Amino acid sequence: MATTAPGTNAVFTEEYDVAIPYMQRTRDYYIALGYDNPYRWASFSEVPFTPLGVQLSRARIGLITTAAPYQPGVGDQGPGAPYNAAAKFYQVYSVTTESVPDLRISHVGYDRLHTSAADINTYLPLTRLREAVTAGRIGSLAPHLHGSPTNRSHRATERDAAELLHRCREDGVDAVLLVPS
Amino acid sequence: MSLVARHIEAEGIPTVIMGCAKDIVEHCGVPRFLFSDFPLGNSAGRPFDVESQAQTLELALRVLESAPGPRTTVQSPQRWSADASWKRDYNDLTKLTPEKIVERRKEFDVVKSVARAKREGT
Repeated sequence: MATTAPGTNAVFTEEYDVAIPYMQRTRDYYIALGYDNPYRWASFSEVPFTPLGVQLSRARIGLITTAAPYQPGVGDQGPGAPYNAAAKFYQVYSVTTESVPDLRISHVGYDRLHTSAADINTYLPLTRLREAVTAGRIGSLAPHLHGSPTNRSHRATERDAAELLHRCREDGVDAVLLVPS
Repeated sequence: MSLVARHIEAEGIPTVIMGCAKDIVEHCGVPRFLFSDFPLGNSAGRPFDVESQAQTLELALRVLESAPGPRTTVQSPQRWSADASWKRDYNDLTKLTPEKIVERRKEFDVVKSVARAKREGT
């Protein structure tokens, strides 16, 4: 129930109406399932920062996604499909940004109860980016978008990150938009 | 994805992440983050809602050009629905019966072995 602060007209939101604490919920869930080796999420005290050196209207923007290319023959990857580990990928991939590729997210743990991944634009903002180019908001789009594998060890992710950086440099980007699904 | 953003940024290319898992991204520590308080899977805006998606992208672009330093998070003002009760459902332990625990554990073990086989075969 929403509550009103005593003596005022201020209406507070529900107590649970905060950003979902995914790490705590996930830890508690797997403990409840009987697994006793909780996942350790990466964390660092130092965070890098590079200012944007050009105006966005002249910048070339790269796009990195965790969505997976559709793979015929490995089960349901459509809207609302159950978690499909067979649809995962383990190598960085690149596809042209000249058309919208058939990328799906059945291989990751999105919220299947409250959404269905029926609209690719909720996890791949390629069409919206192209519109931003047309509107002059950004200079151009990189010729390729790149896929970043999920469900990796820290070591494998470092290898993938180096490969993704290499591909972004080849594309000559000024900045990168990363969209986890 | 946060690790990838950190690496690219450290090597001289500015980055911005659009995402729905605020605690995980901020725990890692990233240069710039546009947070949408939506169910996982909607990092780029609401389904079949071009205006929501365009507004989400525009906010991410503004974060890219104007962040004063690392760990800049901006939260989108968009609401998934007036009723926030959807937030209670993610891995809700109150709905786990002993039978469900057995069932979910079995499912998880299958998923893990499928992923392992695929990874090793790649």
